[in-house]
Amino acid sequence: MSQATITAQHRRQLRDLVADVLELEPGDLTETSSFVDEHGADSLQAIEILARLERDLGVLIPQEDASEMTTLAGVYAVVARHAGWATAHG
Amino acid sequence: MAEPTGRRVVVTGLGAVSSLGIGAPAFTAGIRAGRSGVSRIRGFDTTGFPHTVAGEVHDFAPRRLLRRLDPDEWGRSSLFAAGAARLAVADAGVRPAELSAGNAGSAIGTTSGESAVIERLTAQWVEGGFKELDPALVRQVPANRIAAAVNRELGLTGDAQTIATACSASNYALGYAYDMVRTGEADLMIGGGADSVNRWAHAGFYRLGALAEQVCRPFDVDRTGILTAEGGVALLLEEHDHAIARGARVYAEVLGYGVNCDALHPVAPDPGRIAECIRAAHRNAGVGPDDIDYICAHGTGTPTNDATEIQAVREVFGDRIPPISSIKSMIGHTMGAASGFGALACCMALYEGFLPPTATLAEVDPRLGDGVDCVPGRARAARPRIAQNHGFAFGGNNAIVILRRMS
Repeated sequence: MSQATITAQHRRQLRDLVADVLELEPGDLTETSSFVDEHGADSLQAIEILARLERDLGVLIPQEDASEMTTLAGVYAVVARHAGWATAHG
Repeated sequence: MAEPTGRRVVVTGLGAVSSLGIGAPAFTAGIRAGRSGVSRIRGFDTTGFPHTVAGEVHDFAPRRLLRRLDPDEWGRSSLFAAGAARLAVADAGVRPAELSAGNAGSAIGTTSGESAVIERLTAQWVEGGFKELDPALVRQVPANRIAAAVNRELGLTGDAQTIATACSASNYALGYAYDMVRTGEADLMIGGGADSVNRWAHAGFYRLGALAEQVCRPFDVDRTGILTAEGGVALLLEEHDHAIARGARVYAEVLGYGVNCDALHPVAPDPGRIAECIRAAHRNAGVGPDDIDYICAHGTGTPTNDATEIQAVREVFGDRIPPISSIKSMIGHTMGAASGFGALACCMALYEGFLPPTATLAEVDPRLGDGVDCVPGRARAARPRIAQNHGFAFGGNNAIVILRRMS
């Protein structure tokens, strides 16, 4: 089993991707800021994030996991799970 | 609750270009048997798509069906509409001279218009730039051509209205056609709808998480979404006395209709507004909840639609919900044609005496509450007198048509 952690590079890539979809500066996002409550995201942008992750990273993410991706930390966890990356704590 | 004044309007001709067969008899036989019209997609390359089935029409031969239109000059949706209209007119036994001499027209609903044509043009553009666009295809794009195709094919010189209220568009078209005949502005009207299976609708519904993988199961506890589908459907609406005088077979009478808009969410339906739409249709038709014997549901098979639809019906009907079923369990979601196929199924149910089934239903979702009869499996013998046909659309466009048995 690979014990690779989610690298700083991966984190930066995911932050940039989400910021791009939500039309924010990457610096505006924290790991726990809510896409909906703090950044004004809507359900179609949530789908766009999912689609971009699948396309840019070449992973498949089940639709039901979209509800988990409400913060950057949520995105890290879901992507780590499906891309075969371990999280920093795993 | 006064009935609207004006002439009585009846349905005397039915035409279907469907995944269950060409012509209303083939379509009806499929519906009664609970047969599936779903198959592996041939209309576009499904490489990369996790879901690869749809309700496509495979045995449509426009050259055999159409007498005036050159199929090379028209898009798939226009050909579906014109083919269905040609079948409806033949079914009604109306003489061609009567169609072109009288005040006759068409109102045809659609969601995506000539989507298959637009898709081919987009591919040409992406591959070779604007200069590669085939001018003959460009000419086929405008959505208004769908109703124009019907008028050209039949020689109708009255209205040619394409109505683009998406997945409730056929019911809008039938309402429009009904008003034209009722008020005396037209003597004969074709009402119906047409849409083509295309890649972007398939991709869009997949991405929304609203596309089932293999089977569309409306009202089922395990329902996962729609299946995209296509087809053309046409009903010939005629003034009652005119129909009787020429000894026409009358499938049903159009009692009235109701339309409204949620004006809320782009895709989430609103139960309160749908309930209001049902009440508006009842008022327009001069009937009450106790008069309705059957509801042909919008019943897309998405978790949200079916729960919202039952909630709305419960708001109007209380604990006595009439049998309510979804033909999308067999033909999938034919988009702009969907409520037209529903209306055709209602006409045949009233005329022949049966309730269309929700063919794929295994277990009714208990969250829908008690007393929900979705007619599982195959058609049920019955003598419904009045049927209520639902059509709801993205954008919150709701349209409901009420039909009555004649004899």
